[in-house]
Amino acid sequence: MTPIMSALPFCVAAWLFAIGLYGIVTSRNYIHLVGCLGVCQSATYVLLLAVGYRWDSVAPIFYDHPPGTPAVDPVVQALVLTDIVVGATLTALLLVMAIQVQKRRGTLDPEELAPMKEQQAADACKGRVAEPQR
Amino acid sequence: MSLLDAIPSGVLPPLPVAIPLAVCALILMLSKRLHGHMPDILATLTALVASALCMLIATRAAESGPLIYWFGGWTPRDGHAVGIGFQIDAASAWIAAFIGLLYAAAFVFAWGYFTNVHGHFQVLMLLFLAAMTGFCFTRDLFNLFVWFEVMSVAAFALTAYRLEGSALSGALNFTVTNSLAGFMMLGGIGLIYARAGTLDYEGLRLAVAANARDPVVAAAFCLIAVALMIKAAMVPFQFWLADAHAVAPSPVSVIFSGAMVSLGLFGLAKLTWVVFSGSDRILAALSDAMIGLGSLTAILGGVMALRQRHLKRMLAFSTISHAGIMILGIGVLSQAGAGGLLVYLVGHGLVKGALFMVAGILLATRASIDEIGLRGLGRGIEPAGIAMALGGLLLAGLPVGLLDQGTHLMQGALDERGHRVALIATVLGCGLTGAAVLRGAARIFLGWGSVAGDEARAPSEDEQEKADRPLWLMLAPCLFLLALDLAAPAGPVEDLVRNAVPNFLHMSEPQTALPHGIAWLPWLSVAMAFAIAGYDLSRGHLPKVLLKLGSGVQAGPFRLLDAAHSGLIGDYVTWIVVGLALLAGRLALA
Repeated sequence: MTPIMSALPFCVAAWLFAIGLYGIVTSRNYIHLVGCLGVCQSATYVLLLAVGYRWDSVAPIFYDHPPGTPAVDPVVQALVLTDIVVGATLTALLLVMAIQVQKRRGTLDPEELAPMKEQQAADACKGRVAEPQR
Repeated sequence: MSLLDAIPSGVLPPLPVAIPLAVCALILMLSKRLHGHMPDILATLTALVASALCMLIATRAAESGPLIYWFGGWTPRDGHAVGIGFQIDAASAWIAAFIGLLYAAAFVFAWGYFTNVHGHFQVLMLLFLAAMTGFCFTRDLFNLFVWFEVMSVAAFALTAYRLEGSALSGALNFTVTNSLAGFMMLGGIGLIYARAGTLDYEGLRLAVAANARDPVVAAAFCLIAVALMIKAAMVPFQFWLADAHAVAPSPVSVIFSGAMVSLGLFGLAKLTWVVFSGSDRILAALSDAMIGLGSLTAILGGVMALRQRHLKRMLAFSTISHAGIMILGIGVLSQAGAGGLLVYLVGHGLVKGALFMVAGILLATRASIDEIGLRGLGRGIEPAGIAMALGGLLLAGLPVGLLDQGTHLMQGALDERGHRVALIATVLGCGLTGAAVLRGAARIFLGWGSVAGDEARAPSEDEQEKADRPLWLMLAPCLFLLALDLAAPAGPVEDLVRNAVPNFLHMSEPQTALPHGIAWLPWLSVAMAFAIAGYDLSRGHLPKVLLKLGSGVQAGPFRLLDAAHSGLIGDYVTWIVVGLALLAGRLALA
């Protein structure tokens, strides 16, 4: 195992996280944004698997290996499984919200959907108060 | 109590988490058969039972040390923890008990609010409660992450509950930013696991102490701390909070502001002391970062609160400000600071919960949440007005009750360590947020302030909540929370800080003499709140020169602040990256 090979997964994880963030920052469509969030999350999968990986060892299933055979770390694999469940929940929830946004506002562009911008303050005022003084 | 006494300590720890989860499943299973108020009754009782169990755990832990429970009997072998455990010290148990009570109050407040949804609201809320309790009790870092995520997912769904335009946008911002927080936390957990080979707090503590100057440990801390600070809405991670709290149904906002945000800080305090305190490098960077960011957050939240007209949005910014004050209690790195944080957390949760209930009462009875639109419309619900004014005074630092005891401890700790700027920031934060609430109360319930200032340009929206709920049923939990804050006895609370906090912090040499705050400081912030609220309300009568001076001071930088709160998710994520880079830079320099 060379140092380059051992550092590579960590670089990949950092890169994935960075491009995911870039995608979220520049996104003009919520479906695309949810995809970018998924890319960010993939970074955590790569990181965790890299942390637990052992060279020249088997999967942590001892059905056809004698106990004590070198195996990769099963703990991080359990973490990744949990992470995948979390990711599925989040993606489902976000997509539901995106569908509802599309239904109600007819657009998926975050720039047009800023919260509480639809009704400007002047309308809500209903003439109860004099104009603000400059 | 005799029934409670019969429960052996060995089985007690998982119950406050397991019971709400079981009732969740039960309500879901029977959702078609539970009619009328059955889900309300079940949920309220469950929250009360969970709270009572936490109190029992707290008293047991105070007598005989923290209660430890290993799931599935996986106790540590040869000092190496294989399983997942709960370790509950008295302070954590009291926090969990407070959260249970807050939920019970929120359930009573929401009585009949959500009748046609087959108890789904109660299911989500109970899931939320179980997650928060688990978050307080766990001693396993990954388990902490799981509760963090369960808490987040329940919160996302509750925010989007109304399924209307702005509720959905607010919920989307909340979901994306807090999901990123979750990923960062997991990344940090992966990194620290790479060094420690365990996820148990005790094992991690040893590993951090052994690798005190290791960049991997520092990076892990950076990611975990940023994740928790996003939850706790520190500058520059605070943007999601105002959007989410303003659009969530008011009983949910009670929980968000009262418990969820401050739990981020609770988690940060626990991890800082229990896991990362072995590394001087991390502690030095952390102290600087928390004191700096906390002071900034306290002032910025206060300024923004004063510039709002949408009441829930204003209360949300005041939560940001007070979260900033609370984080100073971590940054000061002393027992009094951490104790102040915990007391402040409970006091603030009670007061802020009551204030959000007042906002909910206005939404239900007056069908509006706009401070200017509601001017003078508070006649007929005066008790709510009194509650709002009292809440404003308590936020401003009126020296009575639990919140003041927390402020007192915190200011004492800051004064002791010579953090003058942070001390001023606490006064400003209290004064500004108190002024915002007092101004709202006077405008709505007394009809004062016919000429509006800059707040007239703030975003607002017409909104209403289910109307035909009895007023007394909404007022009762609100007044109960305020009464609880006022009635908390000073002596026992101080004893608790002296005895329970060292256990919470895993501190070997507890401080016996707690520093005392400066007695006139709270009065200063109260006076400031009255002065600012008075200035804002009397714009119609003040000489033009004075008004010009005021708006001249406010003009430039404050407009920029308004513009920064753009509601755009892209901007928020950019700020998160900036904050992450700042903290990473500070850690690299240490």
